[in-house]
Amino acid sequence: MLPEPFTPKFLTQLETLRLRTRKEFLGSHPGSYSSPRRGTSLEFADYRRYAPGDDLRYLDWGIYARSDRLYVKIFREEVDLFAYVFIDASASMAFPSREQKFLPATHVALALSYVILANHDHVKLHLLREQGSASPFYRGRRRMADCVDFATGANADGALDLAATLSGHLQRLRRPGKAILISDFLMPAAAYQQGLNLLRAFNLDIAAIQVLTRQEVDPDFPAGSLALIDSESQKEIRYQWNSNARRDYQARLAHHNLELKSFCHQSGIHYSLYVNDRDLSDFIFATLPAIGLFK
Amino acid sequence: MEFLHPAALFGLLALPLLLLPYLIRRKPRRLVFSSLLLFMDAGEQASRRPWGRIQVPWIFFLQLLLLTLLILALSEPVFSVRPTHIAIVLDNSASMQALEGGKTRFALAKEKANGLIGAVGVAGKVDLYVTTPRLEKVRAKSLTPAEANGAIASTEPFDLADPPADYDNLLNLLAREHKYERVYLITDHPARGQTAAIRVVQVGQAQANFAITQFDIQRSSLSNARSEAVIEVTSFSERDEKIKVRLKSGTNELASRDLVVSAGKSASVNIGGFADQPFYEAEIDIRDGLPLDNRRYAIAPASRSLRVLAISPRPRELESLKAIAGIQIEIVSPNDYEKSPRTDFGLEIFHFAAPAGLPQNSALFILPPESSSLVDLGAPFNDVNITNWRDPHTLTRYVNFNLFRPSYARPLKPQSVGEIVVESSKGPLAFSVERQGLRYLTLGFDPFPYLGRDNLPMSIFTLNLLDWFFESQGEKGRATGTPIPLGKAREGDRIVTPADKNIAAAPGANYFGGAFYQGIYQLRRNGEIERFARNLQDSNESDLRAPAPIELRSGAATSSETSVLFSFWPYLLIASLLLLMLEWFLNPRLASLKFWRLAKPVPQRP
Repeated sequence: MLPEPFTPKFLTQLETLRLRTRKEFLGSHPGSYSSPRRGTSLEFADYRRYAPGDDLRYLDWGIYARSDRLYVKIFREEVDLFAYVFIDASASMAFPSREQKFLPATHVALALSYVILANHDHVKLHLLREQGSASPFYRGRRRMADCVDFATGANADGALDLAATLSGHLQRLRRPGKAILISDFLMPAAAYQQGLNLLRAFNLDIAAIQVLTRQEVDPDFPAGSLALIDSESQKEIRYQWNSNARRDYQARLAHHNLELKSFCHQSGIHYSLYVNDRDLSDFIFATLPAIGLFK
Repeated sequence: MEFLHPAALFGLLALPLLLLPYLIRRKPRRLVFSSLLLFMDAGEQASRRPWGRIQVPWIFFLQLLLLTLLILALSEPVFSVRPTHIAIVLDNSASMQALEGGKTRFALAKEKANGLIGAVGVAGKVDLYVTTPRLEKVRAKSLTPAEANGAIASTEPFDLADPPADYDNLLNLLAREHKYERVYLITDHPARGQTAAIRVVQVGQAQANFAITQFDIQRSSLSNARSEAVIEVTSFSERDEKIKVRLKSGTNELASRDLVVSAGKSASVNIGGFADQPFYEAEIDIRDGLPLDNRRYAIAPASRSLRVLAISPRPRELESLKAIAGIQIEIVSPNDYEKSPRTDFGLEIFHFAAPAGLPQNSALFILPPESSSLVDLGAPFNDVNITNWRDPHTLTRYVNFNLFRPSYARPLKPQSVGEIVVESSKGPLAFSVERQGLRYLTLGFDPFPYLGRDNLPMSIFTLNLLDWFFESQGEKGRATGTPIPLGKAREGDRIVTPADKNIAAAPGANYFGGAFYQGIYQLRRNGEIERFARNLQDSNESDLRAPAPIELRSGAATSSETSVLFSFWPYLLIASLLLLMLEWFLNPRLASLKFWRLAKPVPQRP
């Protein structure tokens, strides 16, 4: 059963979308994404001098009339897409609750997966945590149920070392394609930069979607002395919470997000922030196209 | 600006306590958060500080201001303007002669007074008062500042104790009656409280002192010819001291003893075996706070005989007193009393008789008639049982009251203030009064006739009472200020003061009331000299460690106060109340928020 936001109308709308890639990949089947190979698509690529054995249907008779030389037209090959959706499933994604952060993150992942599946492309879901797991490649709309089962059946717990975890997943990756990393990115800049660079090294076209909850954006702690406990490391610090501290925190978060966005921009990574209280369809149909994730 | 209750300002010291609730770190709420990445720097900083970061909300400053205003209001601040009509009351008691770094306290008081006068405008008026022997004006009219300075310069302290006075009432009354804008009391006593019109200026510091608190030259009884000096020295100090005590007569040193006086205690020494002198001086050799009480004076004991005038309708019973050595008795009937001369008698015995008024000599009243106004008598009774007696007392010494059984008695109902010496189950039987250096004893039983060994308890009592009157016959050292009895002064009688001031006694005067200085006073009459000793006899004056404070309560405002003082504490109080209301208006939101948070604690995240 599909989660609540996935209404028939929403699914129909998703079917109108197509992921955009900024790189050319070698696909396994004919599809709708450009391949570096020359093929038989309708998209013209180049001319080549005729050689015996060439298909005469591709001769450019216009050029032969003008130059008395035989040239054949070469077309691009269009292949299918392999997409990898990495979902952060560490304990921080279960704050303040699984339903408030991890599930919205999976909904984003499922919406993107459905877009891929609807275009007869391949999608593989990866859960990023200490003992990470990955789904098989899914293809075709009918595999949406499998995606839902895989994503929503998972729990968010444990600590996350992004680079190390990604490395484990990427070692088993055979085909380049589109990588979508969904995380709260509440980790030191060096950690997420290392992780994203790893994805870049595997020649993946990367999109980073940061998922935060409203409580993380604007914490409503009671004023006074607090003992804050890190959900992943269980480390505890004392903190005096008041309006100044709140402002201070928000400034730090804004700076952190800006730093992430800036890194993504410099690295050619699509970046977008999704706060859990925002409407999912609005995010999918307004924000993601705006950053160029969809064609 | 001045504060009427400056002690309230000590409350300002307690203001930092307001911080305590903010400083005390309550047990912090434990909350799970997704990542502490963004808290790390500030959080670590906070945990390093033992008290945490002092987070004082703005309401704290409101509370601080509120408390400060309240404390200031309690201290009653006033703006004062320069007064133009003031009274300066100088404490001229004996303790003001105490030395403070080479100057007497009185000299310091004069300097303070001059300073206060300097603060009064040239057109101002000053009234100068002294406290002893009673609170009275030095000059009848108000003085200009220059005149007041002159009057102060000529004022000297007396060797008198402070009169028992409620200065709060007295000075407030003074201010109200004379419309003084301010009354300054310059004294060595500290003040408790302050009123708008009354200001107490204290001079002097607490210091150690030693004093001769008793000096008597006495004969043990009528029949004893030997004189003996009893000198008691009291320490008003925190240390033990070995003091040399000297007995002198004029410049002749008669004897000296070393005496060890423990801290805060008294010690006495008896000196005997010295030649009779007309007067004596005891002196302790020590440098201390008050030199005045380091010496005392006494005169020689009275002669060895006691002249008695007996007034009795039953003279035979009194004839028996002639058997006692040293008693010279003259007996008259009650009717002849008024006609007989009474000047040279040491004792008048009214036996079943009473005079119209108190006699000019010491007197013994035995069962006075019903018509007497001296004392009322109760119903007569037999089988007298003595239930209580004064001990120690000259009258009761050596008397076995179990065997003391007068055959007839009437209880006394005294009409004046005195001392009950012997008491029976029915009421007082012996009542003594000392007034103006004279002793009066009233008995509710008849001790006469004197039967010697045949009625030993009553005979001992009779001898005791004669000794008691004998003691009073000689003029013992009395307190300064006690009038000197002149016994109806005659023309040519002169009083010579200790400062050798020769004063003519007013003819007909019974007393000389100016004995304000310590020393030997001489009454010169017909070529004869009678001496009287006057000493400072108030240990409160000698105790310079902690003089009794002068209690000043905020009395009713004088009509003149408003012209000098502008009290603005009511405005401070109003401001405090406004702040309180503001806090009430602002705080309920905070309070309700706190309550909500307490009622619904933030759930801890898994």
